[in-house]
Amino acid sequence: MSLALIAALPFLGALLPGLMIRAGRNACAMTTGFVTALALLMLGLHAPAVLRGEVIQTRIEWLPGLGLNANFFLDGLGLLFAGLILGIGLLIILYARFYLSKSDPMGQFYTYLMLFQGAMVGIVLSDNILLLLVFWELTSLSSFLLIGYWKHLPEGRQGARMALTVTGAGGLAMIAGMLILGNIAGSYDLTVILQNKEAIQASEWYLPALILILLGAFTKSAQFPFHFWLPHAMAAPTPVSAYLHSATMVKAGLFLMARMWPVLAGTPEWFYIVATTGLVTMVLAAKIALFKDDLKALLAFSTVSHLGLITMLLGFGTKAAATVAMFHIINHATFKAALFMSAGIVDHEAHTRDIKRLGGLRHLMPVTFAIALIASLSMAGIPPLNGFLSKEMMLEETAHTVWAGSHWLMPVLATLGALFSVAYSFRFLAHTFLGPVRDDYPHKPHDPGFGMWAAPALLAALVVIIGLVPMTAAGWLVDAAAGAVTGEPVAAKIKHWHGLGSPALWMSVLAVGGGLMLLASHARLDAIWNATPRPEAKRIFDGIVEPLAALARRVTAISHDGSLTRYLAIATVTITALGYYAWATADHGTGTRALTPIQTVPAIGWFLLVVSSLALVAFHRNRLLTLVLVGVIGLMVSVGFAYMSAPDLALTQISVEVATVILLLLALNFLPKTTPVESSGGRKLRDGLIAAFGGTGVGVLIYALMTRDFAFPSIAEYHLANSYKEGGGTNVVNVILVDFRGYDTFGEITVLGIGAIVIYALTEALLRGGPANDRLLAWSPDQRRAGDRHPLMLVVATRLMLPVALIVGVYIFLRGHNMPGGGFIAGLVVAIALVMQYMASGFAWTQARQKIDYHALIGAGVLIAAATGIGAWFNGVPFLTSDFGYVNIWPLEEFELATAALFDLGVFLTVLGAVMLALASLSRIAIRAGETINVDAFDIHPENDGPRTEPATTTTEAR
Amino acid sequence: MTALDFNTVLPEVMLAIYAMAALMFGVYTSKDKVAPLLTWVTAGVFAVLALWIGAGGEGAREAFGGLFVDDPFARFAKVVILLSAAAVLVMSQDYMERRGILRFEYPVLVALSVVGMMVMVSSGDLITLYMGLELQSLALYVIASIRRDSVKSTEAGLKYFVLGALSSGLLLYGASLTYGYAGTTQFAGILSTLQGEVPVGLLFGLVFMLSGLAFKVSAAPFHMWTPDVYEGAPTPVTAFFATAPKVAAMGLFARLIHDAFGAIPGDWGQVIAALAVLSMFLGAIAAIGQRDIKRLMAYSSIAHMGYALVGLAAGTVAGVQATLIYMAIYVTMNVGTFAFILSMERDGKPVTSIDSLNMFSKKEPMKALAMLVLLFSLAGVPPMVGFFGKFYVLKAAVDAHMTWLAIAGAVASVIGAFYYLRIVFFMYFGKDADTVESRMVPVQWALFVASAAIMLVGIVNLFGIEASAALAAETLVR
Repeated sequence: MSLALIAALPFLGALLPGLMIRAGRNACAMTTGFVTALALLMLGLHAPAVLRGEVIQTRIEWLPGLGLNANFFLDGLGLLFAGLILGIGLLIILYARFYLSKSDPMGQFYTYLMLFQGAMVGIVLSDNILLLLVFWELTSLSSFLLIGYWKHLPEGRQGARMALTVTGAGGLAMIAGMLILGNIAGSYDLTVILQNKEAIQASEWYLPALILILLGAFTKSAQFPFHFWLPHAMAAPTPVSAYLHSATMVKAGLFLMARMWPVLAGTPEWFYIVATTGLVTMVLAAKIALFKDDLKALLAFSTVSHLGLITMLLGFGTKAAATVAMFHIINHATFKAALFMSAGIVDHEAHTRDIKRLGGLRHLMPVTFAIALIASLSMAGIPPLNGFLSKEMMLEETAHTVWAGSHWLMPVLATLGALFSVAYSFRFLAHTFLGPVRDDYPHKPHDPGFGMWAAPALLAALVVIIGLVPMTAAGWLVDAAAGAVTGEPVAAKIKHWHGLGSPALWMSVLAVGGGLMLLASHARLDAIWNATPRPEAKRIFDGIVEPLAALARRVTAISHDGSLTRYLAIATVTITALGYYAWATADHGTGTRALTPIQTVPAIGWFLLVVSSLALVAFHRNRLLTLVLVGVIGLMVSVGFAYMSAPDLALTQISVEVATVILLLLALNFLPKTTPVESSGGRKLRDGLIAAFGGTGVGVLIYALMTRDFAFPSIAEYHLANSYKEGGGTNVVNVILVDFRGYDTFGEITVLGIGAIVIYALTEALLRGGPANDRLLAWSPDQRRAGDRHPLMLVVATRLMLPVALIVGVYIFLRGHNMPGGGFIAGLVVAIALVMQYMASGFAWTQARQKIDYHALIGAGVLIAAATGIGAWFNGVPFLTSDFGYVNIWPLEEFELATAALFDLGVFLTVLGAVMLALASLSRIAIRAGETINVDAFDIHPENDGPRTEPATTTTEAR
Repeated sequence: MTALDFNTVLPEVMLAIYAMAALMFGVYTSKDKVAPLLTWVTAGVFAVLALWIGAGGEGAREAFGGLFVDDPFARFAKVVILLSAAAVLVMSQDYMERRGILRFEYPVLVALSVVGMMVMVSSGDLITLYMGLELQSLALYVIASIRRDSVKSTEAGLKYFVLGALSSGLLLYGASLTYGYAGTTQFAGILSTLQGEVPVGLLFGLVFMLSGLAFKVSAAPFHMWTPDVYEGAPTPVTAFFATAPKVAAMGLFARLIHDAFGAIPGDWGQVIAALAVLSMFLGAIAAIGQRDIKRLMAYSSIAHMGYALVGLAAGTVAGVQATLIYMAIYVTMNVGTFAFILSMERDGKPVTSIDSLNMFSKKEPMKALAMLVLLFSLAGVPPMVGFFGKFYVLKAAVDAHMTWLAIAGAVASVIGAFYYLRIVFFMYFGKDADTVESRMVPVQWALFVASAAIMLVGIVNLFGIEASAALAAETLVR
């Protein structure tokens, strides 16, 4: 439990600063410090056991289904890092107390800091990679808040954004890597994973997992090419920079690499990715650091360089190199934190961090100078300070490392890196503190109070102590940490003198000498550096992100421009392409059914159908022609039905066809006769191609289906066998409609009725005042009207036809049960007969002669059908079960009566009512649009045949 | 048709009767004046039904000869649907009322669509599936264009209708093919015919139905209606679209592939994995360029549906469980986010541009913080609950040996993080500009803060939904 408590303490402590700030700044800082000290103390209590080689564990179940457990463990590596985090954290708290000005919200600062501290401690103590991930991203979030703490600085905002984008994205990539790792090892517990080296390295997923995890580590530790975010994050207050960007957060990546070292390291992939990245980062960042004028930027790049150094050492994959890495982590944390704090003091006192505006501060700030002197000499690797020790050991390691067959590449580049390091360290020292005292500082500097320099002074003391007695001061910790990393006991030998035969000695000498020479010629080099164009990381970042975002925007704008046709085109193309891919990559057998021979008559019918469909597309702008073609297609389909022995379908199809074409014709009356040109030729071609491909795809699918047998015998058999027995009719289609599937039909006629009433309601809405009504009133027909609107021949013919048509309707209705026909078709036939009257003699004339309300017709139809259905209940059978019997009425022959016929009557009435209501609605629009109403059956206006001078002004319906 | 059958569909029947009664009440009383009351009552009815369904019911029951199934899976989905619909209703009432678009039909239509959704997740037959789906869709078409005097809203509704009708057509075509080759419309019956070689017609049917359903969950490449409808519809409607219907469609998706086609996971696994990858990447990439937060949420929801589909693609119990958890988390996040979007206004007019959030943290630190939590959760950044949702689905994919799918998901989440973080950046570090006002009525505020709090507090044990999702998944995957 106590390990969990250590991790939880900073989080609990994060609540306190906000409360304690009311008691004053000292109380606030002291509470925060107390919590950290308490955590440090608890860690210290575990230290003896850990140093003996024990591993302390705490296990708490969290979400076991996910494999996520709140397990913590503490070994040498964890101890080293937790100690660093809490120890330096304590110093930072002290330093920040004096660094932050009165106007800064200190409570908020300490809250963020404690959150961050907790997340860091969580990372290094986690025994579960998922838990580690959680803490990992928490550090990104809390550091985001800390970096952006000074919101008024635009630079701070940019820095915070970039830091969060880079490290957050890296962390997300790491999730996938961790998932793979956990899957291979069968557990997400680190202690288990660390036992599974062979399984992990043998897995085919090793490389992807490695790359994804390293992405997380490299982004966090600012390794090349992700190094650019760190310097920009330096706009944060110095305590933040010192804590996050030297001692802790950036070391999280190193920690992860060290933690995963036992299972991931040792392969060529690991060596070439990690060691190379480290080496490149070390040299590149050291070179950039030399030319930075901002003290903090200089230190930032120096940090990147040192992180690269440690990464490289871990990348070597040897026990000795890992030991040096651990040692350098300690040393770097001590001298770099001290340097950051000194730089902060300079900034605080002189109000500038620009190295070009500083110099000669050793007289004004002797204490700060002393601290900075020790720390930067250590950074340069000057004996006997601790930086010297680890740098020497590092150079020794590189001297024995072969990179891609080359023996000299590693040592030479490492020496070059060390050389730059010497140069920038001395530059930091010389250009800030040495030289003459200037009189143009933005603010006259002097040493700050004890509180502010106490923390860096303590660290500087550590630098000296570790440097003088390395084995006593740090040897045990290095042994424990390196032992935990490598998984075997380590006994490090840290010495100042390796003998004249040691290559490291000469490399060191070369580095110091070269570095000093470089510094001497710095002014000239700086001029060259400033003159040469060089990649500015932030600009590159923006340069990569912005075009990508612009590209994304453009692609989105093209594909999602709000045009429905484009959407459909994209969807069709994608589906067709996917279908083609499936077809091309899979094996598929041919169908089992043989093709029937092609006969002449159906072939002609098919040809006509295709031609009229194509013609429809080609001439779609001419609406009248389109309508005619639609009629032709409908006709061909009906003929097809008739040819394939489906007279019922053919009859239905043709009557529906006629009714709809007539209604469409009436509607067309109010529309322009042609549609405007909307698409260019190229677009038509494109759409044509898409349509052709899509159509071919569907055709192939249908072909594939038609040449195969259905899995089950068709349901037709059942209906053929039972239609007379159960439904009392020999016309199977009609029996299905009114009996077997009577429920469906009932639903359908209801919908049909609703549809007609909706058309009526829509018309009503149109006729109410409003823009649509205004348009109607202002409407003028495309073409001049014919003078003879109700031609005599047509009128006479329809009058004669009406009784005949009605009788045909009744006939079709009655024969429906046993022969082709039925209520639906009959309804349409009668409707067509009536529509003909409207067309021939005009609306008003016909309206005056029709006595039944169409709404009532629909209602009666549905009600009759419903009553028929309910009638079955009285018979003790379910809804809509039909009954039939035979009756003899003299002088007729015996005939059948079936309840189904009653139901069919309902269908008949509804269909008739629906078609007529639609027609009546259209007529109302016509009248509103200025259509004249005839009173007489014939109303020839010869004057209309002449050129029309003004709109017809005969009676129009009042608004 | 026995009493037991009716007992099983009682919640749906009651809600349907309530909706019709409310419609009559609205028509014959004072019409829009009763709209606020109706909205609250409807939300109350939803909440009561959710409690009832959530608390009652053990095991699985079938009604009407297998047409309708009531099992833990259906109950889980129904509770999420009902609660999210209730939340969206109550938080949209003030917004709609102030802008004069709160018609009494709105809660009624929402109630009807919720009936459809409940039928969808309970369907055990292709006919029931279609009935539920269409009842839902028809109501949604109308809701999308509820602001009849706005061209955008009308256009949104029309587009939704045209594309939705197309998808229904695809679905029906697939259903009829399936019927033709399986000889039955019942899921259990279809499953029992899947032995030996699967007839090609059945595969066509499956693919067509999946395409139709992909439209409803707005998975790429069937997603095109989403951005336009999200942007065009009034914000409360968008909020509704982003929550309950997504759960229902995803539930139906899971039900169809497992109940009817559970024997051939390899066949649909590929299709769903392809949909998932396309959706995740399209959602992530297309969202980058968005300037309107509603449109951004549309692409975000496309990406989120991709993640939910990753769980389904795995084809395992863990996969379905992951999808369910993901959907529950997704809905919670969206309720919170939309509660905030609803509150964005300037001079009393709704604002939805992302730029208007510049330096919002200065104006309203608490709201900005809550929004930050929600956005991080949407991005799937640990330790917010959103991360657990993502992790569940990715883990299910890895465990089902679809590691590449999980990696694709992780990569897409990296891209996706970019635009969520961009909003955070605007809120915290943007330029000093004319910052948006945020006006919230108490209930809206409560939902907003609660959902943000859930994103943080939920990490303790996800409020135990893990267990009920596991139970639900087990009943589905056999």
